[in-house]
Formats: sequence, C-alpha cells, structure tokens
Amino acid sequence: MAGRRAAIKAIDWAAFAERVPPNQKAMFNALKTRSDALSARLAALPEKPPAIDWAYYKTAVAKAGMVDEFQKKFSALKIPEPVDTQTSKINAQEQEAAKSTAEYVQASKARIAQYEQELQKLRSMIPFEQMTLEDLHEAFPETRLDKEKYPYWPHKPIADL
Amino acid sequence: ITCSVLHATRPLHTSKQHLAPLPPLPEKGGEVRYGLIPEEFFQFLYPKTGVTGPYMLGTGLILYFLSKEIYVVNHETVAAACILAVIIYGVKKFGPDVAAFADKLNEEKIAKAQAVKNESIEGLEAAIEQEKKEQWRVEGRSYLFDAKRNNVAMLLEANYRERLLTVYNEVKKRLDYQVAMQNLKRQKEQDHMIQWVEKSVIQSITPQQQKESITKCILDLKALSKSAQATA
Repeated sequence: MAGRRAAIKAIDWAAFAERVPPNQKAMFNALKTRSDALSARLAALPEKPPAIDWAYYKTAVAKAGMVDEFQKKFSALKIPEPVDTQTSKINAQEQEAAKSTAEYVQASKARIAQYEQELQKLRSMIPFEQMTLEDLHEAFPETRLDKEKYPYWPHKPIADL
Repeated sequence: ITCSVLHATRPLHTSKQHLAPLPPLPEKGGEVRYGLIPEEFFQFLYPKTGVTGPYMLGTGLILYFLSKEIYVVNHETVAAACILAVIIYGVKKFGPDVAAFADKLNEEKIAKAQAVKNESIEGLEAAIEQEKKEQWRVEGRSYLFDAKRNNVAMLLEANYRERLLTVYNEVKKRLDYQVAMQNLKRQKEQDHMIQWVEKSVIQSITPQQQKESITKCILDLKALSKSAQATA
C-alpha cells in the first residue's frame, strides 16, 4: 500500500489565484474546475468496496462448491494499480519552468536596473529654472533640434510645431 | 580702486570645475537709482562725501554742461523731455503687468517640462513596481505543478477505486443471480404444485357432490335470511 497513493498536497487555491496574471485567468479557471471535478469524483467513491457476506451466500446458494470457489478467486484477485505516466512529464515541465523563470527573473532584474538608472538621472537633474537650452538638450535629447536634417528655421517639420 | 563689476562673482568656465552646472543666475539685476546710475557708485562715494555727494556731483555736472553750452538746449530737448515723460509714465504704469505676463509664459513652459519629467518618473516607478510584481507572480509557479500532480494522483486513485468497485459489483451480481435463480425456481415449483393440486381437486368434484353442495348453500342462505330479517 505504500506505493499506491501519491500524497495529495493541499493546495491553497486563494493564494494561487492571487498570483495568476489577468491574461491567464481563463486557464486557471479551467484547471480549477477540472481539479474540483476530480476531487468530487474521488470523494464520491468509497475507499474500499463493502465486504461480500460469504457466510450468507454459503447458506443461500445451493450449488456446493460455487461460493467457495468464488471466495477463493476473489481473495486471490489482485487489481492492478493504474500506471502513472504523467508525473515524470510534469516534473520535466517543472524543471523547464524553473529554468525559464530564472531567465525571466534575470531579464526582469536587468530591466529594473535600467529603470533605476533612468530614475536616478531624472531625480538628480538640475531644476528647470537654472537650465540653459544646452542643459535641456543634454537632459532630454529629444528636444534637440536637428540642424542637419532641417537646415532652415524652425528646424523641424511644420506639422510638429 | 576696486570697481565691483556686476556679475564678477560668477565664474566663467575657467576653473577646474567648469564642467559642473553653473550656479543659478541672480533673480534680480543690480540695484540702480533713477534707472541709470548703479547703487555701487553711491556706495563708492559715500565714505568721502556722505549721502549728498553723488547728488552734488550730478547737479554740478548738469549745470556745467548747460552753462558752458556743452549741451545746447534746443527743440529736440523739449521733444526728448516729452518722449521720456511718456515712456517713464508707461513703464511705471504697465510695467508690472507686462512683467507678470512674461513670467506667466515662462512659468507655463517650465510647468510643461516639469509635468513631462514627473510623468516619466511616475512611469518608471510604476514599471519597477510592475516588474517586481511579475517576479512575485512567477514565484508561485510551484502551485501550478502541485495542482497538476494532485490531479494526476487523484485520477489514478479514482481509477483504482473504480476498478475495485467494479470487481465487487460483478462478483456480487453473479452471486445474487445464483440466489435469485434458485428462489425463482423454488417459487415456480411451488406455484405449479399448487395449481396442480387445485386442478385435481376441482376435477375430483363429481357432479353429484356439486348438486349436494349447491342445495346445502341455498338452505344455509335461507336460514341466514330468516335470521337477518329478524334483526333488521
């Protein structure tokens, strides 16, 4: 009986639901309904079937050896457990997920560092009242007027004015 | 003689720190009296001649120019005086309003730039928050795999139990069938026997017996009807 049942861990669906991003909510709901259906089905089935009352049948059935034969065969019968094919796949998936999440976290941290840098630059800027036009162009390069592309005033396409 | 030239305190990109941002420009220009003569001149003459010194100097100079006819009074003087009067009146009256308007234009530009800057800062902070939240979300991936494994385990367990149940049901069905068969056979035998007994009894009733039993019934009925009438 030891290998029979893989331990069914209690899942905190509430905490799980919190972590699902909004664009994957449909998949999460499908998973949850499937899970709930399975657990309902499992709960509906008794763990052991009720014991057959051999004594009654021995007295009731006229044919002599039949009940004994049945009883012998029944107790000798060993029902095979269903073979678990998916758990290894799931474990493999988990490994892959761990790897891809590590990458994603790495990229995310790089992005955060970039944002932090820009934030730092913005925060340490001199106030606008003390800036010259040159300082403004340094701080915000998009304000620089392209004098090569548009050599004549106003140095930008008229539509941009 | 140390002349204090205006803006001399502002270094002009000569020191080693010329790449640093410049200190801000002073808010207002140097003080002037009568719109022409800087205050520093009066301060310069104060130690020697006191308060009235520069005024005496000015008056003397003007009288000198007039009396020696270095400056000649002609019609242009009158024109200049009128123009100056109008200009000074205009500036004194409308100056502050114009200044406020110009300041407002400047303020608007600065406010726009400031708004852009603030929005960028807020956007970046929100982006950082979002990234952190996504990282936190990702940490919950173990839930998903646990759920999947649970599903698999539940499925296997349910299947196994179903199989047990099927076996039990089948065996029970067969045994019950045997019992039911026996019962049915016994019942049929009983019924047949009863029917046969009845049939033979009926057959054994001779016509003579039938007549006797019918007359007896009629006599009994008559007796009963007599007793019934009595009670009614």
